[in-house]
Amino acid sequence: MLATPAVAAIAARSVSKSFGGVKALISASIAISPGSVHALVGENGAGKSTLIKILGGRITPDAGSVTIDGEPAHSGIAASRRHGIGTVFQELTLLPFMTVAENLLLGREPRGRFGLIDRAAMPDVAERELAALGITHIDPRALTADIALAERQIIEIARVILAKPRILLLDEPTSALVEREVAWLFGQIRALRDGGTGIVFTSHRWGEIAAIADRITIFRNGSDVGCFDSIDEDEAITLMTGRQLEALFPVRTPAPAKPPVLTLRGVRAEGIAPLDLALSSGEILGIGGLAGHGHRSLFFGLFGAPGFTQGEIKQDGRAIRIRSPRDAIRAGIALVPEDRKSEGLFLPLKIRDNLTLPILARLSRFGAIRRGAERSLVDDTIAQLAIRTPSPSQPVGVLSGGNQQKVLLGRWLLTKARILLLYDVTRGVDVATKHEIYDLVAKLAREGYAILFYSSDAEELAHLCHRVLVMRRGAFVADLPGADLTAEAIVSAAMRESAHAA
Amino acid sequence: MNKFKTMAPESRRVLYAIAAAVALFLLGQAVHPGFLGLASVESILVIASFVGLVAAGQCFVILIGGIDLSVPWVLNAGAIVLTTTSLGLESRAPIAIVAALAMGIVVGAINGAGVAIFGIPAVVMTLAMNGIIEGLVLGLTGGFTCSACSSYAPPFVQALAHDSLLGVPDALLLWLVVIVLVTLALNITRFGRATYALGNNPRAAVLAGIDARGMTIMLYAASGFFAALAGILLVGFGGQASLGMGDPYLFTSIAAVVIGGVNILGGRGHYLGVAAGAVSLTVLVSVLLALNMPDYVRSIAYGVVILGLLLAYGRERET
Repeated sequence: MLATPAVAAIAARSVSKSFGGVKALISASIAISPGSVHALVGENGAGKSTLIKILGGRITPDAGSVTIDGEPAHSGIAASRRHGIGTVFQELTLLPFMTVAENLLLGREPRGRFGLIDRAAMPDVAERELAALGITHIDPRALTADIALAERQIIEIARVILAKPRILLLDEPTSALVEREVAWLFGQIRALRDGGTGIVFTSHRWGEIAAIADRITIFRNGSDVGCFDSIDEDEAITLMTGRQLEALFPVRTPAPAKPPVLTLRGVRAEGIAPLDLALSSGEILGIGGLAGHGHRSLFFGLFGAPGFTQGEIKQDGRAIRIRSPRDAIRAGIALVPEDRKSEGLFLPLKIRDNLTLPILARLSRFGAIRRGAERSLVDDTIAQLAIRTPSPSQPVGVLSGGNQQKVLLGRWLLTKARILLLYDVTRGVDVATKHEIYDLVAKLAREGYAILFYSSDAEELAHLCHRVLVMRRGAFVADLPGADLTAEAIVSAAMRESAHAA
Repeated sequence: MNKFKTMAPESRRVLYAIAAAVALFLLGQAVHPGFLGLASVESILVIASFVGLVAAGQCFVILIGGIDLSVPWVLNAGAIVLTTTSLGLESRAPIAIVAALAMGIVVGAINGAGVAIFGIPAVVMTLAMNGIIEGLVLGLTGGFTCSACSSYAPPFVQALAHDSLLGVPDALLLWLVVIVLVTLALNITRFGRATYALGNNPRAAVLAGIDARGMTIMLYAASGFFAALAGILLVGFGGQASLGMGDPYLFTSIAAVVIGGVNILGGRGHYLGVAAGAVSLTVLVSVLLALNMPDYVRSIAYGVVILGLLLAYGRERET
């Protein structure tokens, strides 16, 4: 491994930061050498994002100091640009109603006569710059709002890389990316590292950290608890969570042989070919494949948002119609979407209001909510799912990502839905909460719920599901039985041109 | 004090709006002794109730991120429907009241349908509707020259605006009932929860099974209803309808909602604050009148004070 040079490219010494009484960082320290990749790992809420914002000059620490090349650093966006710091934040910062090219070239647009922006030249300039980074599949003329989440993330990263930063801070840059795109990102990171850039990287996927990190600092409860050149996953998890984690995935119980509760025949929607599918109660049916191959249309079609354009849905042998989410909810179907902030939760509203919204009819008399009944139901759910909050009146927005996801799951369990559509529910969730969600999903299956489970993490599908259907270009190209299923088998089925080749 | 700090910002703003109303009353007493006399306070509150009723409907649509710019002529049409239908006869009062309110509900529902079903921006839809109603009123009444146009409001409606029950003006009692009902509707009913959910995140609300179209139509219909109701009271107060009587209520209803601490982008706020906002605005006008200011100074002062209040809110940190 690299020997640590005497002067760090950027370092934080004993920094602390509180937000309204909540201590996000407590005397945390880190030093990043030039020409190295330094991974920050820890659960959600361990202080990684806060530290990255402090290093990037976006927030000022309450105590402690940041140095760059040994000199005290100034805070602020302009200063951090002067220091050559580039940051990719967890939240996307692109302007949705401008084109990709306009976003990419923001603040350094090509100039024409009289110093005016040369709009005509922008797409070509953007195209050249993207191509130099090996990105040829994104149209620089497209409106940013119209391209996929993963593509937006890539543009976000490209924008920062193009500025040739001396220090690069990446806060969960891969959470929206699939393997091929992660490989691209790692290529870029290695090139920058070899050019002497000091890089900070966070991720919840251990495989990525093992692949790219030169050094690893582990965070727990706002402090650094260890810094390593290499460490194995079990040890790291023990340090991160402060306890030994048994196997991450629950023991798989065989799927009961029951008649299907839900069958799809020849359903079509935008981006999917006619699909057939059968789901039984007690079964966890995995849906795998690369992002953008029709999973979303399948899940949202089944939930009526918008419904399928053709085909037949049968529930317990009876044909049903699902044209709106209300129809789906009435049929006992629940959808937990990937983007919980924009499609699931009402962040400023109370946990209580978020939990009971779909079941208020059941909880009301003459339109008025029976507050006592609601209160006890909410308290039960919080206790059952171990949602960590001081009170059900807290706005959902202040909870950690994992706890937010549990609120959303709790909402749908309260509806007494028997068919759960779980769409990438563990994305951006820390490892301890992931473990709780896996246990919960397995338990729900044992209780007889029928679960359709999409994940961008093939490892998850391989260990959790009874059976995995792999989608490619809107069609199922492989039906893989659960026993002895490996992530590699799922990935290769998703990438292979012909499903029957092997 | 601690509890005050931990309050949700929108709850704190209700207190600000109430504090502003009280401060303006005290200011009035300072510049014009007798301002705080019972009769004076009562008459200010009665006038505030007209603003407050229109603002109730405005509050509903702003809570879902909409706006209702058609209130001036819906109010005006409500007043004219009442007088021309009743012809001042007590016996025709019930049918006239029902007709006026039904007109408001129908116009509001059309606004809602335009926004929810046809996806027309609320500003465009309701502004166009305001013009359409104005044109219909002028056309159908022959430029307000019809024989029924000069009818008075029936005695019952006039009494509603002028009489008192146990020393409290009837109009004020009616407003108190509305304050209680709207507050309850927003806070302890499915309707209220669905309204806040829609205002915060329409996509998530639809995915949670909320009928967004139905709710939007219902909320705009409520706004039409309240505008027509204010028109009925206002014509009872003045006796006769006139053209343009609704014009002042566009700005004041929106200003009351915003001063009351409702987020103009939707999702957050309480009607209690809006009611306090309506009172603040009315007291402000009275104070300016009491100061014997010329018209143009009053307009300027009115605008400056409202901007000042909103600036004070803007300084508060959103959580």
